[in-house]
Amino acid sequence: MIRQTIPPGSIGVYALAWSLLLLWLLLLPQQSLAETKQARGLPPPAVLNPAADLWRDIRQRDMPTTGTTQVRGVDSGVLINANGDTWRKFRMEQLIPVAGYLLLGMIVVLILFYTIRGKVKIEGGAADKKLPRYTSYERLIHWFMASIFIFLAITGLIILFGRPLLIPIFGKEIFAVIASASKEGHNLMGPLFMVALILVFIKFVRRNIYQKGDLSWLLRGGGIIGKKHVPSNFFNMGEKSMFWMLIIVGSVIVVSGLMLIFPIFGQSREWMELAHVGHAIGAILMITVIMGHIYIGSVGMEGAIEGMKTGYCDLNWAKEHHDYWASQMEKRGEAIPNEAVNRFSDPDTNKFLGRELEEPGK
Amino acid sequence: MSEQFEQGVEALRQQIDSRISSYFSSCVHCGLCAEACLFYTETHDPRYTPIYKLEPMKKLWRREHTFWGKLGAVFGLNEPLTEQDFADWETLVYDSCTLCGRCSMICPVGNDITYMIRKQREGFSIAGYAPQGMQEATKRALKIGSPMGVTFKTLKAAVTHVEKDTGLEIPLDKKGADYMTLFSSMEIVNFPEYIASIARIFDAAGISWTVSSKAFEATNSGIQIGNREAAAELVNRVVIAAEELDVKTVISPECGHAYTAIRWEGPNLIGRHYPFEVVHILELLEQLKNEGRLKLEGKNNIPMTLHDPCQIVRRGGVVQQPRNLLNSVAVNFVEMKDHGVMNWCCGGGGGVSANERAEPLRLRVFERKKNQLEETGVNTMVTACANCRIILEEGIEHNEMDTEVISLTELVAEHLVEASKKS
Amino acid sequence: MIAEFIDGPLWTFSLAVFVIGVTWRIVTILMAGNRQDLSTPRGSASSGAIRTIFSRSLYERTAATRGRLLQIAGYLFHLGLFALLFFAQPHIDFYAERITGFGWPAMPHWAFIVSTELAFLGLLLLWIHRLLSPVTRLLSDLDDHLGTILVFLVMLTGCLALAQSFEALRLIHLLLAELLLIYFPFSKLMHTFTFVMSRGYTGAAMGRKGVNA
Repeated sequence: MIRQTIPPGSIGVYALAWSLLLLWLLLLPQQSLAETKQARGLPPPAVLNPAADLWRDIRQRDMPTTGTTQVRGVDSGVLINANGDTWRKFRMEQLIPVAGYLLLGMIVVLILFYTIRGKVKIEGGAADKKLPRYTSYERLIHWFMASIFIFLAITGLIILFGRPLLIPIFGKEIFAVIASASKEGHNLMGPLFMVALILVFIKFVRRNIYQKGDLSWLLRGGGIIGKKHVPSNFFNMGEKSMFWMLIIVGSVIVVSGLMLIFPIFGQSREWMELAHVGHAIGAILMITVIMGHIYIGSVGMEGAIEGMKTGYCDLNWAKEHHDYWASQMEKRGEAIPNEAVNRFSDPDTNKFLGRELEEPGK
Repeated sequence: MSEQFEQGVEALRQQIDSRISSYFSSCVHCGLCAEACLFYTETHDPRYTPIYKLEPMKKLWRREHTFWGKLGAVFGLNEPLTEQDFADWETLVYDSCTLCGRCSMICPVGNDITYMIRKQREGFSIAGYAPQGMQEATKRALKIGSPMGVTFKTLKAAVTHVEKDTGLEIPLDKKGADYMTLFSSMEIVNFPEYIASIARIFDAAGISWTVSSKAFEATNSGIQIGNREAAAELVNRVVIAAEELDVKTVISPECGHAYTAIRWEGPNLIGRHYPFEVVHILELLEQLKNEGRLKLEGKNNIPMTLHDPCQIVRRGGVVQQPRNLLNSVAVNFVEMKDHGVMNWCCGGGGGVSANERAEPLRLRVFERKKNQLEETGVNTMVTACANCRIILEEGIEHNEMDTEVISLTELVAEHLVEASKKS
Repeated sequence: MIAEFIDGPLWTFSLAVFVIGVTWRIVTILMAGNRQDLSTPRGSASSGAIRTIFSRSLYERTAATRGRLLQIAGYLFHLGLFALLFFAQPHIDFYAERITGFGWPAMPHWAFIVSTELAFLGLLLLWIHRLLSPVTRLLSDLDDHLGTILVFLVMLTGCLALAQSFEALRLIHLLLAELLLIYFPFSKLMHTFTFVMSRGYTGAAMGRKGVNA
């Protein structure tokens, strides 16, 4: 009477399938465009732009570039935004290459790390008992945030790297479609990330306050560098730091993002440029860190994703990675035999779940 | 494939009408019904999700009433309903459902899931996949006249005893009486005080009533096991007796499913309207009180709470009457948190109490009632169903709680202004 | 050519499948017939049916934690989807041009965006819940996921086409909407219409008994 259902592990597969499907969909217009495409014109003749002199005169003069006008509105007195060029230069010549190398570097680091360290196994092997780790609500908001994040990351990266990376592959016409789609999708889904961030903050903040024992975990390399496991609380210092990074950098991303999609609060162009720089740097930073997060959850460590998938984690895994928490839970008799977990796999039953450790580090 | 199984599938097939078709078409598998079912909330076993208990019927519906099902059947892609399905689902359908109807109140698309389970049992009972205890109870009900094997002789003994205690005459087989009273076996055997109470109340209110020697049993095992023929036969006995005695009204006793059987399902089972009315004892008591024929005195100041029997309140529509009655005799009436039509079942309805193998599960899910009761902080629970009463008492004993369960009719009788005092 | 096919014949075909299919489903359900209830009613069946058709949309406070989440997410998704489907300017223009011949007042652009966000929020929460909760994992079948995926894709491509400046994006959105329309009558999506019948039947049965269901 056990029915075939989709295993929770397939969420990652789903996400991948989604991205591929999305990419495929975005490639569809290629065909319809090819039909409507005009004959390619000849390259434009080289004509000197008469506005170039005017541009140079205004931009490079020593006086303020702002004039006066009767048109009311933010920046309406600005004929040419001199900073715009600086910003554009920064984006094209520094932000894009540095961000690109950073992301590539992270991938290389993770691959190298995997080849050297390999998958961190549960040393004692899988136990016959499990501990309830996350309630279904906690898992729900985590995966909600994850799906929004992946969508925003993909569309955001397309917007940032589209010009150097995608135009050579797809050509300008098709990239225009992809870029427009990415921009609209990014703008629309963006505010949902704020919702996710708030929900995640409220739910997880108490377990992420730094405690005694966290620092020694860090000093001893978190157990992932050496071969020895280091005990930690419900969340270890790495996870806590990632949480605070997520909250702080996430807030920067959210606020700057809102400034960019709602230019109605009197923010000037300079503010918008600043917001964009903050948004991009924050996002690249976050994507880099989250890549590490995904690495540990997927191939980096055995049993790490169990808690987020099923709500329960292996007892031996918990002892090896979160010993303070695991031993307290075990002492309270919270460990549940595997077969019971398989049958009633809903950690909401567990009344101790999500409760703080009263005396951290003991 | 046995012939009995084929008959069961055929019986199940006949249950699929517009109502059930629309229910299956509407279900989006949201799982909200699980939150309404005490078997799920107390165990967190996802198999106890009410709509999951209907998988066998859904399988049949999908195969015979949907596009994909019919298409798949042609190419032999989807497997048909098998005997193994009946075997696998028997405990889900009978042990973990009390037909309490709470899921039907919560379903966002408005599916009457309880109705569907009741109908699915028709197929199960005919295919022979029903609990031993319920099968035997139904056999006894058909053969002896009572699921507990109570005969008229037993009733006669109880009646004689009551007559001696109260000094009142209990009219047997009195032709032309206004009311014919039914009892549940449980009342005759375990709670003869109920018989005494209504005798005293009817005497005080000056009511012309009678008890039939041919049909005094109100309970209907056929309804619980889901056997249309047995249920119709049991209802028919009451109808014939009432017609012979030419009564105006038949009174359903405190028992819950008896009321559903005789009041709501009965006419449909025998296929015709009754020439008499059917009222629940609480409806009658409230009516008598409002008419001024039932005079009550004194108020009990012990804090009391009310357990709403599912079949009388949620599935029967007698919601306000017990509250009015209880308020007229008690000053400290405390409602439970989810009361009235959203009350939690005692755990023993729908034939579960007659099903021995379900006892451990039944005691486990009693936790819900226990918590509900503890929230009120009250130690006296009033109810109006003999079956609930037994189940509640067992649960209270099992949990070593200090709670008294009393019958509302008996409580009302205690506050009666006796006829002798009136004059 | 593909563009003309999506915009022309496929649209007509999918609309026809949708209309005929939905009608056929409703007719077959009604044809199964119901037995007449012979018991003496305490209350009115018709008023019970009408009451339940509406009252089942109200929040049920007795549902526990998981139930609260399901109900809130359900509201967000259904209300958001309803608003954007029928009161967004691009959709109204489309209906006016292709189906009705007349338009009706649209909601402002910001309300369109907000309702889209809410619909996405609700749909994602419900879908992730379906993938995570033991109850829905046990109940869900391919149909449930296919329906969700199609609705999600239609919504997503719609939001990608928000700029309304690329024909190709509009066509992808339209193509998926057409696939949804074709799939609709054969799926659980039918609850959009049959919920009225289910609530009605239950409400009528309970109304006769004098219970507000």
